Amino acid sequence: MNRYLSRLSLAAALAFACAALTFAAPAGAAITLGASVQLSGGLANTGRYYRDGYEFAIDQINKAGGVKVGGKQEQLALKILDNQSDNNLAVRQYTQLITADKIGLLLGPFASDAVLATSSVAEKYEVPMIQGGGASDQIFSRGYKYIFGTLPVASKYFESTIDAMGKLTPAPKTAALLFADDAFDVAVADGTRKLLQKAGLKIVLDERYSSNASDFSSLLSRIKSDQPDAVLVSGHETEVLNFIRQAKSLGVSPHFYSFTVGVPSADFRKALGKDADYAFGMTSWLPSAAEKDAWFGDADKFAAAWHQRFGYEPDYHAASAVADVEAYAKAIEAAGSTDPKKLRDAIAHLDFPSLYGRIRFDAVGQISLPQTVIQVQNGKVVPIYGATGFIGKALYPMPAWSKR
Amino acid sequence: MDLLWQGLVNGILLGGLYSLMALGLALVWGVLNIVNLAHGAFIMLGGYACYYMFSGLGIDPFVALPATMAALFVFGYLLQRHLINLVIRAPMFNTLLLTFGIDVVLTYSAQIAFSADFRTINPSYAGAHFTWLGATIPLVRLIACAIAIALTLLLWLFLARTRLGRAIRATAQNLVAARLYGVEPRSIYALTFGIGAALAGGAGALYGVVSQLNPYIGVSLTAKSFVIAIIGGLESPLGVIAGGLILGLVESMTSLYVGATYTDVASFGILVLVLVVRPTGLFGRTT
Repeated sequence: MNRYLSRLSLAAALAFACAALTFAAPAGAAITLGASVQLSGGLANTGRYYRDGYEFAIDQINKAGGVKVGGKQEQLALKILDNQSDNNLAVRQYTQLITADKIGLLLGPFASDAVLATSSVAEKYEVPMIQGGGASDQIFSRGYKYIFGTLPVASKYFESTIDAMGKLTPAPKTAALLFADDAFDVAVADGTRKLLQKAGLKIVLDERYSSNASDFSSLLSRIKSDQPDAVLVSGHETEVLNFIRQAKSLGVSPHFYSFTVGVPSADFRKALGKDADYAFGMTSWLPSAAEKDAWFGDADKFAAAWHQRFGYEPDYHAASAVADVEAYAKAIEAAGSTDPKKLRDAIAHLDFPSLYGRIRFDAVGQISLPQTVIQVQNGKVVPIYGATGFIGKALYPMPAWSKR
Repeated sequence: MDLLWQGLVNGILLGGLYSLMALGLALVWGVLNIVNLAHGAFIMLGGYACYYMFSGLGIDPFVALPATMAALFVFGYLLQRHLINLVIRAPMFNTLLLTFGIDVVLTYSAQIAFSADFRTINPSYAGAHFTWLGATIPLVRLIACAIAIALTLLLWLFLARTRLGRAIRATAQNLVAARLYGVEPRSIYALTFGIGAALAGGAGALYGVVSQLNPYIGVSLTAKSFVIAIIGGLESPLGVIAGGLILGLVESMTSLYVGATYTDVASFGILVLVLVVRPTGLFGRTT
């Protein structure tokens, strides 16, 4: 029996050790930023962009001498916890970061559901949280004072896409709208529905599906029978992968389809190979030399440095995460203090150019950035339509799968 | 009408894959009386094994299938013999705890080893399809469904006709009597667990071809397999096939006529209904 117990407890200990893996901050650092991010679990794929972004930005700021507080240069440090893609755990971890670790500068987790839950902790303890992972309008409609977001509003994600659709020939007349049942995607759908109606498109299919659905054959069969010109999908990357693969295997090819996530990520294009072509998407950020930055030079140089350090291309999640850390650096210098209340006011008044774009929060704490329409063409992301109109040639209409 | 027919076809093809997923879980549950919570993780490992044989060595996924199953068989056999066998006579709670622990260890090891990147097994014919009586039939799903049914029938024949299969069934039905007739339960348990893991591995390879792989797909697949095993009962592989097809059809029809967000409500609703009306499963023996 003893042998059983010792083997069992070994297995249990191993399991707990794996589950509780956290990364401790270096000791003795002057200013510590705290975050709980999805480093494992279902959202680990995107969660790591935030960890990489936070770490990269802090290293770069420290390399340039750190931030100036009251005439003294201080280094930044990061305490990052793994919430295992569990929002309840994330709430407990933020409470721990604030109450036990006495951290007064919070960075956000990924995705609207997690931000909705954890921002309430920040608000309750009156500690600022700058987050680049949650875009749902719901986050910013609660009158909170301590939550700031660097992703554009969810309800307008498809705005530039629908503008672009109106200028294609022949312009799509009917549309299908599919969305997952979480805070972000429901907010996208609510906004998109109005935008489609305003643009005069007929919505022939408007369907909510459960998050993490893996079988889309029924929805695709309905698309095939209703024949909408355009299909707009707001969901998670796994669902978009399944959707495209199953669309191919059922021979469903609308003239135009666009997805809120996946298209800008290198990982997505790698998983789909040639099948990723023709997919439209959107991004709030593209690397360009025009976006100047105090620490990285410009967005182009940042993208190159990121690729060299991590071995993959940064997307808007990564750039947004870096902007969050930079916003803290600027705000600390402006406030001349790390007092959470003073810092909060300094963040609210920030206005500076960054590699991610102009960082300036509106009255509710959200940033305003246009979404650039992008399309995968021959395995590369090509910018198609921006604030100024077309900037690239759209491959439209999408050919049938058999003719590719 | 066309949509209904296409929906039925979708449901049956999906159900075939579901059956294969659940087969290993039901077999192990029936014979060892262990609900293997790491079953979904085995499916995930099978998917990765096939993925690496396909992308690394260029082996066609359907050719790599037997190798994947063999690898998972060895893995399952050793795991049962040296770890799970320690709690085989312990209360159900202990086996649940142990298999849950194994699931956690496998999942997190997979993230460390394979990263959280999404993978797909994407041979050139992955998107091929043809039309039959007005319904579009995805080729790979049809093959996956056929393989699932073939494996189920093979397992059924194995259990019904071979000496070893009879020994497995005897162990499940009456351990004392089986022992009196010279059956060595330790090796039977390990063999059965190995077969269960091999079937999970096969399901994982097919899942990677029709869907996508990441270290975290296991939990929902375990849940789905569990529902199917309950619906179909643990008596016979044929019940599991029926359970899988029922679940596939219910999900497909719900998504088509009620709403895509209600598929889980429908499938777990059926689970509750079956537990209330026929606790031994629709095709299980009533005692």
